[in-house]
Amino acid sequence: MNIWQVLSSTWNMEPWVLVSALAVLVAYGLGTGFKFTKLSALFITGITIYVLALVSPLDYLGRTYLFSANMIQHILLLLVVPLLLLLGIPKTLAEKALAIEPIGAVMKVLGNPIVAWFLGVGSMWVWHLPSLHESVLANDNLYITQQISFVLIGMIFWWPVFAPVESRRLSPLVSTLYLSSACLGCTILGMLITFAGAGLYASYMTPVDTIGILPLLRGELCLTPGVDQQIGGLTMWVPGCLIYLAASMVTIARWYGAPEDYEISSNSGAEGLLTATQENK
Amino acid sequence: MSTRIPLVPENIKPLPSLKGNEGMLSWVSSVDHKQIGLMYLMSTLVFFIIGGLEALVIRIQLAQPEFDFISPEVYNQMFTMHGTTMIFFVVMPFLIGVGVYLVPLMIGARDMAFPRLNALSFWLVIFGGILLYYSFLTQSGPSEVGWFAYAPLSEKPFSLNKGPTYWALGLLAVGISSVSSGLNNIVTILTMRVKGMTMRRLPLFVWMILVTSFILIFVIPIIASAFAMMLLDRLLDATFFTPAHGGSAILWQHFFWGFGHPEVYILILPAFGIISEVIPVFSRKPIFGYSFVAGSTVAIGLLSVGVWAHHMFAVGLGNVANAYFSLASMLIAIPTGVKVLNWVATMWGGKIYFATPMLFATAFIIEFVMGGLTGVAIASAPINWVTTDTYFIVAHFHYVLFGGSLFAIFAGVYYWFPKFTGRMMSETLGKWHFWLTVVGFNMTFFIQHFLGVMGMPRRTYTYHDLPYWGSMNLLSTIGAFVLAISVIIFAWNIIWSLKHGKKAPDNPWNAWTLEWYTTSPPAVHNFDLVPPVRGRRPLWDLAHPDQLDEPNSKVV
Repeated sequence: MNIWQVLSSTWNMEPWVLVSALAVLVAYGLGTGFKFTKLSALFITGITIYVLALVSPLDYLGRTYLFSANMIQHILLLLVVPLLLLLGIPKTLAEKALAIEPIGAVMKVLGNPIVAWFLGVGSMWVWHLPSLHESVLANDNLYITQQISFVLIGMIFWWPVFAPVESRRLSPLVSTLYLSSACLGCTILGMLITFAGAGLYASYMTPVDTIGILPLLRGELCLTPGVDQQIGGLTMWVPGCLIYLAASMVTIARWYGAPEDYEISSNSGAEGLLTATQENK
Repeated sequence: MSTRIPLVPENIKPLPSLKGNEGMLSWVSSVDHKQIGLMYLMSTLVFFIIGGLEALVIRIQLAQPEFDFISPEVYNQMFTMHGTTMIFFVVMPFLIGVGVYLVPLMIGARDMAFPRLNALSFWLVIFGGILLYYSFLTQSGPSEVGWFAYAPLSEKPFSLNKGPTYWALGLLAVGISSVSSGLNNIVTILTMRVKGMTMRRLPLFVWMILVTSFILIFVIPIIASAFAMMLLDRLLDATFFTPAHGGSAILWQHFFWGFGHPEVYILILPAFGIISEVIPVFSRKPIFGYSFVAGSTVAIGLLSVGVWAHHMFAVGLGNVANAYFSLASMLIAIPTGVKVLNWVATMWGGKIYFATPMLFATAFIIEFVMGGLTGVAIASAPINWVTTDTYFIVAHFHYVLFGGSLFAIFAGVYYWFPKFTGRMMSETLGKWHFWLTVVGFNMTFFIQHFLGVMGMPRRTYTYHDLPYWGSMNLLSTIGAFVLAISVIIFAWNIIWSLKHGKKAPDNPWNAWTLEWYTTSPPAVHNFDLVPPVRGRRPLWDLAHPDQLDEPNSKVV
């Protein structure tokens, strides 16, 4: 098999993916009145990436042969898809949803930046524990749970920065701190995986070569277990971090784009002169 | 009210004379941010001269092939001490010091948030400098292991002398100082701004100091712990970095560059800040794209902590790691390029007035872009393999740190000297200083690009008489002496101007930031009153109430 044959023959139309995607789309359509807007384009892009990440060869390769493919899938599901979904939710819809008692109360807890941060960074760490990762590869139900949890937790993680309702968002500078510390969490895990040496995730060392592509991967593409794991670790470390960084730049750009609040005090002295700030004694 | 008797009488005059009754005491015991700032600047000038003399010794040794002006050991000591001094005792404390002086003035505050911590930070730098230079008095002299102190060379049994121990102790002191000034800056900037000085109206210099301070408190602890581990290895026989006993020498490199790369931005971001203040004033235009300059600084700050492994391409981290870090490192060129564009666009169509600060700022852009371009080149792993540890790298980082940071520092000194002292610096001497610096700097370092590509290794004690190597090195050495003359002129200009300089008005350059509103030198309490801040150029708005920068801002 050459690489094109691999890429064309390893699509896996899993029903749960298609059904969940369709259900979410229909729900979104009902909420927004099936109108095509800029926001809905973002939402649909998010759902498309969600489906592609789970039915394309990325999924097949990630579950059997390549840790790096698995990592790219995780980054898409945890960082990219939820962000697009969240950005696609119109403000009015979110306000209506938050007005419903249980949803509002739940989001108050989950949307707390400390909770959201630990859920987001924690899910990255916990799901990549080697033993848990092996169980995920062996158990289909656990696998489905993992994918869905990535998307949901991803949305919770992005909530304090990109919530559709502005009042739920952190201030831009705090957002930057929130995101850069998450980047740090990601970096440390990425470093550990990158420099751990081959074999951290045992099943990728000797995959069951059902479709006979191992010689292609290991030989022609030079994806030895060591290189594969390095690509995985570095994908989390560098591009993963760049997503957080780009997001902070968006918050800063949004901040500078917004009109300045007028903060001149009226109780100033002659000709509007003010007293210099001094230490509170 | 407590009735304790103060040990030191309160300062009444802004710059107490040393000759007075308690003149010396009033400086040493001062917690005034302006006095501390000036002490930072004066001590960096001393360290600058020491570090410069060490550089001259290096250049004399390399002036001709197979020369033995000094011994190889002394040569190693010289380049170690030169690098360490210039980075930790000149550029860093200068930029922190000028920040300490200007930040409260620029945001309309009376002092830093923690004045005593501020004094501690300064005196720790002096303490660190004494520890470092004390090693000259030990039997085997100062550290010989380079400013990067790679393990296992810096470990027992390869370095049994006391040099690296004093080196690590001295830098540990400076590290503590840097973290505390970082914290002090952040708290000051976030909490002590005068009403109306919103975060989006901060002078760009203050904004850069803020981002730098965040980098400081994030990365200095990395190197401080590495110093502690190195000291444990050296003094208590721990084995963190000794592979022979199960430690990891590469780990030192990760720690060192995990700090060392962000350090480059610690050294250059405040310099960007100085340039972003000087260029608009001398172009008589507001800065072009304020939000881009500020925003790109945040991008640089965030990117800077994630790309250190590009200093380790030759280590053998693997092709994958090299490729990722090449790409990530090249990304930094984007926010940096954005800034260069903004400065040039600010000058474009402006009424440019080439006083000495502006000359240095303009030259900064050119020299820094040179250093930036070679930086993008060596971010590519294959080019890096060819040039690493050659004079190409020496040329590259001198273009960034001398052509960049130091040129900005000179611009800053000429620009703020009237505010610091109440006297103008001599423009004639300033122009001499400028042109000799430009000529000397390029003569010294431009040629080193070629030497590097021809294969001349860094840190080499001497070299064989290969074609052109002797003459190129001689040219570089002559350039270094031209630089030395320029520094003498600079120092003389400071000394002369302090006594005989023209009296400076409050706002000699017609600038727009708050520090120019107060007297020159500023009163002990900085301001009696601060004008309302209704835009990014408060003094412009004050002088032109009908042409406000933000016409919609109103007193509410």
